[in-house]
Amino acid sequence: MIEIENLTKVYKENRGLFPTSFKVNKAELVAIVGHNGAGKSTLLKILSSSLLPDSGKVTIDGVDLSSRLELVKKIAFVSETPNLYDFFSVEYNLKLFAKLFNLPHSRVEETMNNFNLSNFKKTKVLNLSKGLKQRVSIGRALLPDPPVIFFDEPTSGLDFEMTKEVFRLLKEFHAAGKTILFTTHRPEEIRNLATRILVLHKGKMVFDGTPDDYFKSSLHSELY
Amino acid sequence: MIRNISILTLNDLAITIKNKTILLVFFIPLFVFVTLKLVDSKPAVPEKVKIGLIKNEIYDQKVLTSIKSAPGAFAVSDIADLEEGKELIKEKKIDALLLKSEVLIVLKRQSITTLTVLESFQALQKAVEGRNVNWISKVESLIVADVQKQSLPIWILMLVLLVSFVIMPSQVAEEKEKKLLVSLLQTPMKEIEWLLSKVLVCMILICVSLVFLHMISDMKIGFNIHYILFLIIGSFCFSAYGVLLGFLCRNQATARTLGVIFYLPHLLPAALSEYSAKLSSVAPLVPSFQFIESVKKIIFEQSTISQLSFELTYLAAIGLLAVGLSYYLLKRRWLM
Repeated sequence: MIEIENLTKVYKENRGLFPTSFKVNKAELVAIVGHNGAGKSTLLKILSSSLLPDSGKVTIDGVDLSSRLELVKKIAFVSETPNLYDFFSVEYNLKLFAKLFNLPHSRVEETMNNFNLSNFKKTKVLNLSKGLKQRVSIGRALLPDPPVIFFDEPTSGLDFEMTKEVFRLLKEFHAAGKTILFTTHRPEEIRNLATRILVLHKGKMVFDGTPDDYFKSSLHSELY
Repeated sequence: MIRNISILTLNDLAITIKNKTILLVFFIPLFVFVTLKLVDSKPAVPEKVKIGLIKNEIYDQKVLTSIKSAPGAFAVSDIADLEEGKELIKEKKIDALLLKSEVLIVLKRQSITTLTVLESFQALQKAVEGRNVNWISKVESLIVADVQKQSLPIWILMLVLLVSFVIMPSQVAEEKEKKLLVSLLQTPMKEIEWLLSKVLVCMILICVSLVFLHMISDMKIGFNIHYILFLIIGSFCFSAYGVLLGFLCRNQATARTLGVIFYLPHLLPAALSEYSAKLSSVAPLVPSFQFIESVKKIIFEQSTISQLSFELTYLAAIGLLAVGLSYYLLKRRWLM
């Protein structure tokens, strides 16, 4: 589903992502774990075409990273902070993106129902809680119903209840057959969630395996 | 309390450095210094009055001899006919054209140049005849407009630059800062579509402000297709320029600073060039000069688009160059 070969992005301070290769199969729920500055966000930004790599090759569902217009139909990217048009309503934000995806209005209604946003459709995003904003952000990204979803720190800044809510959504998407990659710097949280863990440390991949193997290994205690 | 005020003051200073607002503190005095260097220290009066005399015109012999015998005060050009004389005045190659009936043709009645020409004639007559009555019986101006209308091009330029260099860069940078652009790039929208929509919205804002200006002011231009077309091309040039400035910045604060840094050098040389010989030689390099001069020509001299093809091409080329650069930066995901 996702094939990454020698993907590299190095910033000035010798940080970033050093040659990294891995494959993700269809319907996997992969957690990318690492401390701040490990290269997790860099990896997701590259995969979502918002950052250009220095070198390497990426194909998602057979589409090369350079074919952005094709790729956006295959992926959804939910960033750490909900980047929405604050001065407009929930419905406006969803409608705008639905129009850009050339989707019917019924899809907006459907998304609002699926994400329990119908009661807030006329509310300005500015007046929503962080958790609700994140829900709108996820709903917006999933409007075109893509097979692959990237989440960058989806629970960052959320309280316990909202974190549980996001994890419930991740499980739902996974059960629906979506391929999911998400980043976190709190591996304990995703022990029972992810089907696979990739650990990045200082821009290099140091672990690729099941959560059980990871938590049994000495690596977890060394890093955390 | 003092400690906290100190901490917060230092924090605010650090923010002004970080978001580059501090540049304005240095840039504005530096800009004034450079501009003052470019403005002539003496009043911008010509050393010699460049007067045009029509070849086959029969002038008062006394006036003619006096002018020609004062080469320190007058530089005489022989002109074939009245039309050529008017053209040379418009091109600022001569200051005034003398007709046989003691009528003096100038570009603008209320100008330093016209005043100098009249003073020179008065001084010459006093030297020749000892009288203080002017040889010139009438002054005709090629630009017939009231003072309000004469100030119109400056207001137009101010509005165009304000929208392009202050409002637009901030709006573009906001989309980058809040990662809205990143979200939009997750849709099948093409980069060029986003870019052109930004240029278009800036052009619309400029056009709305200009229409509003014409509506509320009492400056009657009438329906002039050349004027409208030129304003559209001009707004395209500066809109594209403004979008590029916004794209060069990571956040709104930097965009505002950069906007002001570009706003002043585009406004002042273009607006002040007629008061300084030095400035008038530098000003043509900035696109705002080509814009304001062309607007003046269309309003006051009824010039047409075809007569302003160089200026039009220049502005369109700057606009296209700015769009091209912005597109390149967007493709490279610059500061995103």
